[in-house]
This record gives sequence, structure tokens and C-alpha cells, in this order.
Amino acid sequence: MMYKNYPKTIIIFFLVLLLILCLLAGILLGSVPLNPFDVFRVLTRQETTSTTYILITTVRLPRVLAGALAGMGLAAAGVILQGVMNNALASPNTIGVNSGAGFAVMLALLFTDNYHLYLPIAAFAGALLTTITIFALAYAADSSRTTIILAGITVSSFLNAGINTIKLLDSDITINLTSFMMGSLSGLTLNKLAIPSIAILLALIVVLFFTKPLNLLGLGDDIARSLGLRVSVVRLCLLVLSSILSGCVVSFAGLLSFIGLIVPHICRQLFGNDARFLLPCSALLGASFVLICDLLGRIIFAPFELPAGILTAFIGGPFFLYLLLKKKGGRRIHA
Amino acid sequence: MLEFRHVNVSCGRTPILNDISVIFNKGEITTIVGPNGCGKTTLLQCLNGSSKVTSGWILLDKIPFLDLPPKKRALKLSFLPQIRTIIPSLPVRTLVEHGRFPHLGFSRQKSIQDREIVENVMRFTHVEEYADQFTDTLSGGIRQRVFFAMVLAQNCEYIVLDEPTTYLDLAGQQEFLEMFLQLKEEGRTIILVLHDLAQAMEISDRIVVMNRRQIAAVGTPKECLEQGWLEEVFRVQVKKFMDGEEAYYFFKGK
Repeated sequence: MMYKNYPKTIIIFFLVLLLILCLLAGILLGSVPLNPFDVFRVLTRQETTSTTYILITTVRLPRVLAGALAGMGLAAAGVILQGVMNNALASPNTIGVNSGAGFAVMLALLFTDNYHLYLPIAAFAGALLTTITIFALAYAADSSRTTIILAGITVSSFLNAGINTIKLLDSDITINLTSFMMGSLSGLTLNKLAIPSIAILLALIVVLFFTKPLNLLGLGDDIARSLGLRVSVVRLCLLVLSSILSGCVVSFAGLLSFIGLIVPHICRQLFGNDARFLLPCSALLGASFVLICDLLGRIIFAPFELPAGILTAFIGGPFFLYLLLKKKGGRRIHA
Repeated sequence: MLEFRHVNVSCGRTPILNDISVIFNKGEITTIVGPNGCGKTTLLQCLNGSSKVTSGWILLDKIPFLDLPPKKRALKLSFLPQIRTIIPSLPVRTLVEHGRFPHLGFSRQKSIQDREIVENVMRFTHVEEYADQFTDTLSGGIRQRVFFAMVLAQNCEYIVLDEPTTYLDLAGQQEFLEMFLQLKEEGRTIILVLHDLAQAMEISDRIVVMNRRQIAAVGTPKECLEQGWLEEVFRVQVKKFMDGEEAYYFFKGK
């Protein structure tokens, strides 16, 4: 479409700018709008005692960082899964990876106390197990694209049932089920974010080295093999990376839906299918998208708050349908 | 020289290829023919690992080919598989550039030489004018040329193509045959699977006839006809017509 031919540096520059604006807006705006000068003084450590300081460091800053990381992680995981499975409908949500991570998080909450460390690890393990299960199922059933999605939906509802059961049986679990199932960024602290954020950033850096192989996988396994790609090794690495990304997000933000599906598709429409460019663009736009949704959720019904996940579904759903309809007759969606 | 020595492929207990021994000479065009399901595609798929060789050896210039790392293999031999179920949506130039993948270093940056080769092969296959169009908007014939350009961008001595002309119109087929002959002039070794026997006779130096998962016969097109191998395997009658110096062959059901 229209932005494919713009120089890549300019597109990236604008996406980074958008993300910075979203981060600033997320800090400044909310149920209590803040004065930019106060915020500047806090961020530059000239002021360390006021309520503004406390509000920013304990509420707003963790929140916007979490939003940006969640958006980046899920959007990037979506690009990876779509490429690896060669399936335009794949995403951490549609193939049940998020539910797998969520289920593992609930189990971890049952059995451990050291949440900061064990939640991300459990979520990663749950995500990886689910991904590999779905992949194996789809492969055994001759890996048709619909099979993967059907298997994903099935596994997803199965695991969601598990999540609900655990919560009902053990009401001591310190988690708000509605927020967790929808995905929410409230009540986070910088401590809780430390491990997942490092893991997500590292995984994103590593993924950038896998974008060329990801492109080759998009040509089909046989051609990728002919071009000298170790298809199985690369695919396994990418599945592990996408599990780190989506698992870590689930460990702090719950089951945020839609981002892994729609953000990559919007970016494909705008910027083309070349993973070397698609991946960073999706990560940047995903981060901005989550921040905007979270911000709207905070201010629309203030002082009441809608979880970010509700807004992503409200905004993302119709927009995605619009894209699908508009494209009828145009180039079809392709992973 | 590419040599298959006692190659067997089986899926579980079902044999798919049975004791294949055949030699493809350097600098020649060799065409594999045979009825559907005789194992032609499987034979070629051994070369990129899509089919796993259960026993036997594949030797490329006397070196065990399958022991080489995949990238080294892709530097020596390029292989375009048969039917593409996946049609990527990429600009033509980007797709052709993928052919340079085995040549790229760790940074995966393309050199000036890489870019030159990409432009050259696009010129050779006449797809330059589509360089910025998307592959999924092209007609089948042009798309096939684009994939061929990608394979040529690998710049290998050995070029292996599985049914490259099957879905093309006559003009498109003829263009491909001319490109094969030009590549042979440049000293490349070409291995093809073709269904059109007349075309196979026309351009091949040697014909490999396969039947029922085995090699039925190997020889020059002339030997093929004289020995009646095609008549036996395909159950057809061969008619030869002479027009001055040129011979034309027709294959007619028995």
C-alpha cells in the first residue's frame, strides 16, 4: 500500500517518535493529569519526595513500561508465529500460547511465593509447551492451516477452563481473574517487571538476527531447505523466542488478546512482508497501540478503569474487520 | 559429476526409492522422465533433505554431498522444487535476492557483487520489468521465471529443476528450454524432470528413465528411441518425422 516505498529510516523514525509520544502521554495523562514541568523534574531526579514523584515512580512509569513491553513482545511473537507456521491466522492468542502461559502462571501462583522470579519462568515454560504441542498436533494432522487454528482454539479453551478452575478452587490467589483473562496493566511495580523486561528485550535483539531466515521460511520449507537453511533448527529457535516473548508478557499483563494478530497485519498492509522490516515496525507499533488502549481505558470512565485488554478488543476488533473488508479484491493477507 | 550410489528412500516400511544408482555428467543437460508416482520428485528431494536417504550415498564431484552443511550444499547445487503451495507476497527483486542467502556472511549484508548478480539473473530471465511488483500479483508463467531467477541467483554449477515447464504455455516453455541451453553453453550442469517427452528428446544430452521407484534405463535420446524404452515404460508408440535435417517425435497412446 502507500507507505511501502518510503525510505525505511523515515518510517522507523516516525514509529519511534509515535512510541515516545505515547510513553509521555501515558505518564502525563490519566485520572489525575500531571504538569509536564513536574514530570520533567521527577524524571531528571530533581524532585524525589512529592506525590507526583510517588505517582510517577510507583504507578505511571511501571505502567507505561509494561505497556510498551507487552505490545512489543506480543506483536513480535505474532510476526514470528505467522512466519514459522506460514499461517496468516497464527498469533499467541489464536494458537493458545497465551492460555498456556496463563495456565502455567496460575499453577505457579498455587505453588510458589517468589513471584517475581518464578512467574516469568513458568509462563515461558507454559508458552513453549503449548506452542510445541500445537505444532506437533498440526504436523501429525498434515499441518493444514485450519488444523493449526482449530487445535489452537481447542487447546485454548481447555487451558482457560483450567485457569478458571484453579482460581475457583483456591480463592487465596492474589490475582484479579477478570483483569488477568482480559489483560491489564494495573498494579504493576518496577520490581515485578525487572526479569520479564530483560528477557523480552534480549529476545527481541536475538530475533533481529533471525529475520532473514524467517523470510526464507515464508517461501515454504522445501525452498528454504534448497537455499541452505537448517529449517528445523531455525524453526525451533524461533518458537523458543516467541515463547519467551509471549510468556513473559502474560506473566505481568495477563492474556492480552488481539495485539499479536492485528498489529502484524496492519504492518504487513502498510510496510510489506519483509520480516527484516516488518518485525521492528510491528514491535514499535504494537507498543504504541497498547499504550494508547491503556490510556483510553484509564481516562474514558475515570475514576473507573477499564483493563487495557478490553480496549484492545474494542478498538482492534472493528479496525481489523475494516482492514479485512477493505482488502477484498486487493492483495490477500499472507504470512 | 553428481552420482547417486545405491540410494534407498523409504517412509516407514514403504519403499519409495529402490536402489538408485545413476550418474549425472558435468556440463550436460540430463532429463529424468517417468510415469507419475515413479519417484522422480523423491529422487530430487534427496538433494535438499526434504526426503531422507535411508541408505546409500550421493556424491558431488566425489565428495559425499549430504555430509556437507546445508549452506555449503546450497553453494554448489541449486534446486527448485516442483509445485509451490505457498505464494509469497514479496517484491520480485526481494524474492530473487533470497537466492543469495547461502552466499551471505553472518551480518547478512548484500555486497555490490550480490546486487549485480541479482540484476543479471533478472535480465537473463526477462523479469527486470517486474522487479518492483509483488510476486502474488503475477501470472503463473512470470512467477515461474521469477523463482527460476531466484535459483539462478544462487549461482551454482549444478542446477536442478523439478517440472519447471509444467504449467506454462508453449511460448513460456520454449523460453525456458532456450535458457537451459544457454546455461549449458556457460558450462552449467542441468538436471530436469520433464513430462513432455518431445521436449526432453529435444534438449537433453542424456535421459534417465524411471519406472516403479527404480531406474529403468539411462542413455542418449537416440538410444532411448532405438531401444524402445519410452514405449515400454509409458506404453506409447513413438512416431518420427523428418523435416529436412530436423527430426520431430510424436508420442501416441497404444
